[in-house]
Amino acid sequence: MKDSAASTGTSSLNRVAAIESEWRQTIRKSRLQTFAWMILVSIILLGSVELSAVGKSSVDAGWIDRIASFVDRLIPDLRADALFAGRQVDGSLASWFYDLPRWLEAMRETVAMAFVGTVVGGLMALGLSFQAAANLNRNAFLRHTVRRGFDAARTIPDVILALIFAAAFSLGAVAGVLTIIITTMGSLGKLFSECMENAEMNQVDAIEGVGGNRLLQLRFGILPQLLPQILSYWLLRMEINLSVAAALGIVGAGGIGMELERAISFTEFDTYLAILILIVFCIFVIDLVSEQLRHRLIGLTQ
Amino acid sequence: MLELKNLRCCFGDVVAVDNASLSIAPGEMVGIIGRSGSGKSSLLRLINRLYVPQQGEIFWRGQSVTALKGKELRDWRGRSAIIFQQFNLIPRLDVLTNVLLGTLATRPLLPSLFKSFPAEQRARAVMELDRLGMVDTAFKRTQNLSGGQQQRIAIARAMLQDPEILLADEPVASLDPINSEIVMQSIAALNRERNITLLINLHSVDLARRYCSRVIGMNNGKIVFDAPVEELTDQEVDRIYGATSQPCQADLAPQKELKTARPAAVPPTIRGEPQLESIA
Amino acid sequence: MSAEAALIARAEAILPGAVIIRLERRIKTALAVAAFLIVFVACCYDLGLSWDVLGGGLVKMGTILGAMWPPTSGGELPRLLLALVQTLAIAVLGTLLAALVAIPLGLAAARNIVPNPAIHFAIRRFMDLFRGIPVLVWALILVAAVGLGPIPGILAIAFSDIPRLGKLFAEALENVDARQQDSLRATGSSTSGVFRFGVVPQLLPVWLSQCLYYLEQNFRAAAVVGVVGAGGIGFELEERIRIFAFDEVAFITLMYIIVVGIVDFGSERLRAHLT
Ligand SMILES: Nc1ncnc2c1ncn2[C@@H]1O[C@H](COP(=O)(O)OP(=O)(O)OP(=O)(O)O)[C@@H](O)[C@H]1O
Ligand SMILES: [Mg+2]
Repeated sequence: MKDSAASTGTSSLNRVAAIESEWRQTIRKSRLQTFAWMILVSIILLGSVELSAVGKSSVDAGWIDRIASFVDRLIPDLRADALFAGRQVDGSLASWFYDLPRWLEAMRETVAMAFVGTVVGGLMALGLSFQAAANLNRNAFLRHTVRRGFDAARTIPDVILALIFAAAFSLGAVAGVLTIIITTMGSLGKLFSECMENAEMNQVDAIEGVGGNRLLQLRFGILPQLLPQILSYWLLRMEINLSVAAALGIVGAGGIGMELERAISFTEFDTYLAILILIVFCIFVIDLVSEQLRHRLIGLTQ
Repeated sequence: MLELKNLRCCFGDVVAVDNASLSIAPGEMVGIIGRSGSGKSSLLRLINRLYVPQQGEIFWRGQSVTALKGKELRDWRGRSAIIFQQFNLIPRLDVLTNVLLGTLATRPLLPSLFKSFPAEQRARAVMELDRLGMVDTAFKRTQNLSGGQQQRIAIARAMLQDPEILLADEPVASLDPINSEIVMQSIAALNRERNITLLINLHSVDLARRYCSRVIGMNNGKIVFDAPVEELTDQEVDRIYGATSQPCQADLAPQKELKTARPAAVPPTIRGEPQLESIA
Repeated sequence: MSAEAALIARAEAILPGAVIIRLERRIKTALAVAAFLIVFVACCYDLGLSWDVLGGGLVKMGTILGAMWPPTSGGELPRLLLALVQTLAIAVLGTLLAALVAIPLGLAAARNIVPNPAIHFAIRRFMDLFRGIPVLVWALILVAAVGLGPIPGILAIAFSDIPRLGKLFAEALENVDARQQDSLRATGSSTSGVFRFGVVPQLLPVWLSQCLYYLEQNFRAAAVVGVVGAGGIGFELEERIRIFAFDEVAFITLMYIIVVGIVDFGSERLRAHLT
């Protein structure tokens, strides 16, 4: 740029023009970008519709009737006058929830599956996550092996795992528990090791300097400072695992899900709805309790 | 008797400690000074074996501790206590448990994992806390205590190790002047009364002059000064801190300031704090 | 009295309760631990978890793992790839549907949009209730309702995500910085102008990145719903597990893990770009 006094006025005008054209260009570029993105997204969506064969699926002319009859069978035939009558009376609540004791037992099994799976999976995650944290394990090979293991355990769909376990341990709660253990280990292991990488190392140094071995360094240098975070992740996972456990039953891995599956296979859709209400209620209650606990834990850290 | 022979320690390209040789008699109190990054902390951590030397040997009472492993290494760490600038306490544990962690090297693993310590050790912990005037805080969490209080807990923890040598890494660098004096006096008392060999990193030349009988100066990883404290003239201090090279001016400024503004005398009592005499 | 006993006595005098731990405190912790262990063991017993069962199963598991090697496509690679892409398509459409429904729900549940507390409280509780229903449970009933194929899968994913996304959308709305709206209002913009320039630019990246995160999760969900008849890779896997073709199961699983890794990576990059 020329700096003579005479050209100052024109140069500032030039600058304004330059800025304006630059601005126009930016706008044009961003519009082009948006346009390109929209095209890409449309292609993806159209491709999805085409590939998933939505159009060709079994939805035919009579689908409204089908849905109507489905909804009709889903809603129980309750009668206002007989609502609180015994189980034998048609239209009473008791006849809708006709198998409640058995469902409650299955629900207990589901809760037990979630509990055992969360405890064992969490303990395994805790034991392994030290190995996956870069500041605690300098052996890169071992570290990456453990991390990839966590990734794999998180990625394989739980239902597929359950089916494989069912092939080995036969259908039932054991296959479900093992599935929950593996998936919990994967997801908690990743979270725990990320926590550990953010841990303050000077506490570990202190225990090492005192002459504590590796285990003591982790016990006193790492665990106390991360305990609130670890526990609150653990509780959160317990909530998630409860719905996982309920779902796994559908493929035969024990618990309330098996009752759901049974109701569907006998086309007792109103029974399905009853069990679903039971599940939602249980999950809701446990969520509330666990949420309280988690808030208390977070309060502890502050 | 602590002896270092041609000790060398590097991190990548950085040479933290370069060819350091030393010999320290039992019961000596030695101060180490030098500007930031000169390798003071690394030297102490080498002795305690928190860092591994690439070269050279460390002898304690005629025996090499350079190649110790496993149980023997932990044993050595138990006998050579270290105090850190940031106290390195476990904030979420109570004071008494923090102090009891000093016994980890000598205790069986399983009870330690469950924080179970025998009555005798607990009694020793109480006595140490009492001596440092910290007994009132025994059941409090350390995270709520002041820096001076935390450093005294770290001292109590080191004392539970029953150490033969105490390595203090800038124990008063993050404390205010009054707390500095309290902590320095507690440390000096240990040296006097229990005859513990003491190596102490100091950021203040003034403190080194007042408390140590011998001073070691480090610059750029090398030991550039090692003499009785009387020989530590201002010219020597400038040499140690490399006053001729410009970038260290910032390091130097607070030192000079401290030297002129030396606290006249230690106040005899500090509100809420123990009598200094009870420490000494 | 020995020196040790004297030391203990002196220390106990200085700080009572520190040296000799009172029995009741020990019993309290011991009881808590014991209660937990008893519940745990009782649960294991209830589930039929015993060493016999585990041991026997592990032996069979060994054979299954052995049968997985070497993984093979069974000569059906094109079909498997198509199923994989179909699964992805189900996830995309399910997420899209969920987001479209979740937007109005999110708006209605946001405190700063709907001033009436009764409305947003009701909507939130409603969403909380539905949040607990797993996608597989939705899929089971929807397959019964509308028949086999991708539609129940898409619907199941949408239904299970609507309450979750709705809640996230509402929270993002509530976190919008109000200062930009104020400054726009001060320049005399209309309400729609305030919304377009004061709210949308802050909101859109957050919502988009939440959708992308759910897309990642839904790729997994889409594989799951396939098992109960919603097509895609889950169906292929289930079929092969039923006939014990574990070498093919291993192949499909590996392929699936790799594609999930790629999708996650791409989506993570996009999300990092957005925020
Ligand atoms: N663990 C480590 N990893 C990498 N480099 C290190 C490590 N410890 C020390 N160093 C390097 O070694 C050199 C000496 O550091 P050291 O901490 O011993 O200095 P110092 O004299 O204690 O300094 P200060 O007064 O700031 O504490 C520095 O350059 C530092 O960056
Ligand atoms: Mg240092």
